Formats: sequence, structure tokens, C-alpha cells
Amino acid sequence: MKKIIIDPVTRIEGHAKITIDVDANNRISDAKIHVTQFRGFEKFCEGQIYSQMPALTARTCGICPVSHAISSIKACDILLGVTPPQAGINLRKIINLAQILQSHTLSFFHLSSPDFIYGFDAKKEDRNIFKMMQTHPQMAKDGIMLRAFGQKVIQTLGGKRIHPDGLVPGGVEQNLDTQTKNTLLLEIPNAIKIAEETLIFFKNNLAKFEKEIDSFGVFPSLFMALVDENGNLEHYDGKLKIIDSEGNVLQENISPQHYKEFIGEAVEAESYLKSPYYKPFGYPQGMYRVGALARLNIAKACGTPKADKELLAFKALNAGKPVLNSFYYHYARLIEMLYALEKIELLLKDETTMGEALHRTSKILKTQAVGCSEAPRGTLFHDYEVDTNGIIQKVNLIIATGNNNLAMNAGLKQVAQTFINAEDVSEGALNRVEALIRCFDPCLSCSTHALGIVSSNIELKDHNKNIIQIFKRN
Amino acid sequence: MRVIIGYGNKLRGEDGFGVDVIEVLQKRKLVDTKLISVMQLTPELTLELLAATHIIFVDTAFSQTDHYALACAMEIQNGAALSHHIAPQTIRMFLRLLYAKNPDFEIISMLSSNFDEIPNKRSYKRSLNAVVAYLS
Repeated sequence: MKKIIIDPVTRIEGHAKITIDVDANNRISDAKIHVTQFRGFEKFCEGQIYSQMPALTARTCGICPVSHAISSIKACDILLGVTPPQAGINLRKIINLAQILQSHTLSFFHLSSPDFIYGFDAKKEDRNIFKMMQTHPQMAKDGIMLRAFGQKVIQTLGGKRIHPDGLVPGGVEQNLDTQTKNTLLLEIPNAIKIAEETLIFFKNNLAKFEKEIDSFGVFPSLFMALVDENGNLEHYDGKLKIIDSEGNVLQENISPQHYKEFIGEAVEAESYLKSPYYKPFGYPQGMYRVGALARLNIAKACGTPKADKELLAFKALNAGKPVLNSFYYHYARLIEMLYALEKIELLLKDETTMGEALHRTSKILKTQAVGCSEAPRGTLFHDYEVDTNGIIQKVNLIIATGNNNLAMNAGLKQVAQTFINAEDVSEGALNRVEALIRCFDPCLSCSTHALGIVSSNIELKDHNKNIIQIFKRN
Repeated sequence: MRVIIGYGNKLRGEDGFGVDVIEVLQKRKLVDTKLISVMQLTPELTLELLAATHIIFVDTAFSQTDHYALACAMEIQNGAALSHHIAPQTIRMFLRLLYAKNPDFEIISMLSSNFDEIPNKRSYKRSLNAVVAYLS
């Protein structure tokens, strides 16, 4: 057996490598993603005071710090027994949606769009954002504009673009004033126009990618997401819902506090990324997917007019049953971008958003709490145990990307078996292997630019696990 | 207008050099100069540079040797493999190709291999003072 190694995987967030096993008959027998960076947050958070956790855990990442801060402050709210004022909740929701907007924008415009514009077989030197700037400058500008808007919302309401410090237990530090509200509202119509045009571009190009749509991680799996009290799309709060690939409801109305009854965590060799699974089905049969695709598969509606119209078309892809093609994560993210903009507008116009945004308190009432929210890449859990002084005794984090670990591996195997010829590995095939990973938009976390070492590699190994070839992707 | 961008992570030892330079410059009241302090360079930063005629990036660059030396580190470590942070050269490309802007560029890098702490505070300060004096 041979093994193909892609190392580093490019145009993803963080550091990883992919290994592809080839059997004695030159057939692909397995493929896996290995996350090669170790962070250790769960361990070194022990001994910290609870109030440090939002700022500390936000450092898990430079791209989705808001998500960590949101889940963390929600856990702290429970420890303190406090419900933030409605204005505080609304402002948290706005900041969370702005983060989803800017993250999805980065994923589509800066990481994945070169594949959609030039195709997966285009020359490597053409398949990047520099070429895109030359041939599709308006699209590149649109990506910058949407990112800028998302970051502006986070900075204005949260204090900083990256690692905002305005998200605190009990609400948010800063109330919304009329001038800020009006300034942000002014930019939304143009942002919505860009999001709609991008959706049209994507849908118009889908016919070019039929083979990828039919082979990029298309398999039955469970799906998990938060939904609101009406079963609609929800990113900040709500209850967990789990469905199967036919759309049958396995669990609903689950409080995130009870996640351990349903979610188990396995560890796989050669990777620091955990492999969560649906406990009743066991490991690894309990594989589930989270993120934009799962959210849209589970939600009955978005609750905003433009996104709801798009959701209807999305659900029609599989006649109302869950969409199983991981390629459509891109589609789902674009719909969520539109939703995020519409919802931010609604929340900014909501009069209750203008009230007092923070309920101050500091007495520990509970010693265990789970904060949960929908991050751009899926459901994020922060589970804290503290002593009566609020000192952290134990932390368990289930990161959004980790939820998708088993599904990413299943998708990798499928793509490798479809496109890789072990005797002659083409650049287009390697790019498709990486592109499967980009469908999930994994965030493997890096919050410093300092060493700036590129993301990942692909390894080819024989049946004795000997490396035959390494494809360096930098 | 001149724009000076200091970037880095102050929680990562000497990686915070660019941010420290900006903090000192903010007390100098420099004329016709905009100061920007960020953790990393991101695409949307381009929009804040459209009026710039001269852009100076101040950063820490990895080097196994020559610690605390000042240099112009041009190596693009993440190039086309674009992640959530980008290189100064990419910002320049954004400005030129998307907005037809072609300002002068300078890159000032303090060389370091320590991203956990600042082991030699005196040398660090000397480098910082040198950059501040040059930019003031």
C-alpha cells in the first residue's frame, strides 16, 4: 500500500496535513486530515478566574474570536446566574452575525472563489486571489467591502476588530447610540446587494461543477445545529436539534447544558483534533455534520425575507430532504451571509437594542456551566467547572471544526477515490482533495502571524505506512 | 499622507514590536501621518490606505540569527496560500490592481526568533528607539 501526503493543505485556516493510503492494487483505501498544531487551551485555562475566560479563549483564534467570546460569556452568565438585558442580548447577536458575515466572506471570496472562477484544473499559479484581482476586480472589491463591514460592526460594538473586549458576562460593555446605529444601517443596503449578486454568480456557475458536487463529501450523516423556539435558524441561543440524513428528528429541544448525554468525544491517532460523535450511535457511526449546511438542513426557516426565499431554493436541491453534498456548504454560507445582513438590520432597528446593555454582577451561583453558540463553522461548546471563588477547575471545549472531523475524513476518502490516480497524481486531483477540506472551511486556529508557516501537506503512503511521496503545498 | 502600520501580537513576546512602535509614535503627534496598529494584516485594511502616498509597515520577522537587527524582510511566507492574514506585498497588490493606487512602500522588520517573551529588553528597546527616531 502506498500513501499520498498533502502537506501543507493550502487556503485553509491553520496547519494540517492530509494522508492518502494506497493499497497494493493502487486503489485508494483511506484518507485522513491530521491537525498538526497543539494548542492546549483546555489545560492551561485551569486555575484562571472565570472572568478571564472570554478574553483568554478568544485567543484560540484570530478569525473566529467572537464565537469563542460569545460561548464563553454565555457560560459565565450561567455561573453568575444572570440574564443580560435585552439590549445586551441583541448587541451580542449583532456582533456574532457580523463575525459570521466576515468569516463566510473570507472563506468564499479569498479562499475558495479562485476554484469557482478558474476551475479545479486551472494552473496553480492562476488559482489564487492575485489572478482574481486581475480578471474579476469587482468581485475582489466586493469581498473586501463585506469583510470591512463585518469587521466594522465588531469593532464599533465590541471594541476591537480582532479579540473584541466589549463582550463580557452580563451583556456587553457599551450601549448602542443613535449615531452608531445610523452609520451602520447606511451600509447595509449595498452589502445586501453584494451578497445577492454573489449568490447569483455562484448559482450560475454550479453547472460547471457537477462532478465535484456529486463527489465532494456526499454521504448520509447526521446533522446538528441550534434552532430557536420555532425551529428556525439561530446562531446565538436556542436548543440543539439533531436529524438524520432523511430528515428524521433524532433529538430536539436539547438544552446545551446536557450536551454530554448526546455527544461523545473520540481521539484519533496522528491528529490533535478531537472526533465528536452522536453517542447513541457510537463511534464512528455517530458521525454528524455541523456548520452552514447543517443549519440550513435543520432550520425550518431563516426568518428574514430574502434569505427565506433562497432557503426554499436550497431545500429544493434534495426535494426538501437534507442536502448531503458537502460542496453545498459554500451555497449555504452565501445564504447565511444574506441572512446575517438582513438580521443585523432588523436588530439595529429594534428599539430594545438601544437600552442598557449590561447587568453587572460578580457572585458565583453555580459551579458548572455550558455556553453554546453557532460559530461560522458550526456548534461551539464551552463547558466550565469552577470552585466557589470562580477559579476554573476544568474546561471542555468542543470546537465547531472538530464536530466535522469524522465527516471531513469521510469526504476526503470519497474525493480521493474519485479523483486520485495513485500512479500519476495530477495537480487538479490534489487541489480537489484540498477543496473538499475547504468546503468545511475548517478553522485550525492560528492567532499570530509571526511565523506564518503555511498550512498543510499531502502524504502518499504504501500499505506498510511508508511514505512514498510528499506534496508540499507552499 | 503617510500611513504607518505596526502589526503583531503583544501576547507573543517580540512579535509585538510593530504595535509597540505605534504606541510610542502616538505620543509624538506626527504631522500628516496616520498610525494604524493591528494584530495582523487583513484584506479590508486596504480601504484605510486609499489616501496614502507613502505606507510603512513595521513588523517582526523570523530569523535564527541577527536578533534585534533591523531589516527589510520581504519574504512572503503565506503568499498565494492566503489565509486570514496577508503580507504587505498583498496589500500593495490590492491597492494597485483594485484601486489603481501605487503609493511608496517601506517595510521595517525587527529580526527575532522569540515569540514567547522579550529576553533582552535593552536590545529590544534600542531597536524600538531606532525605528521611532527614523519615523519621527
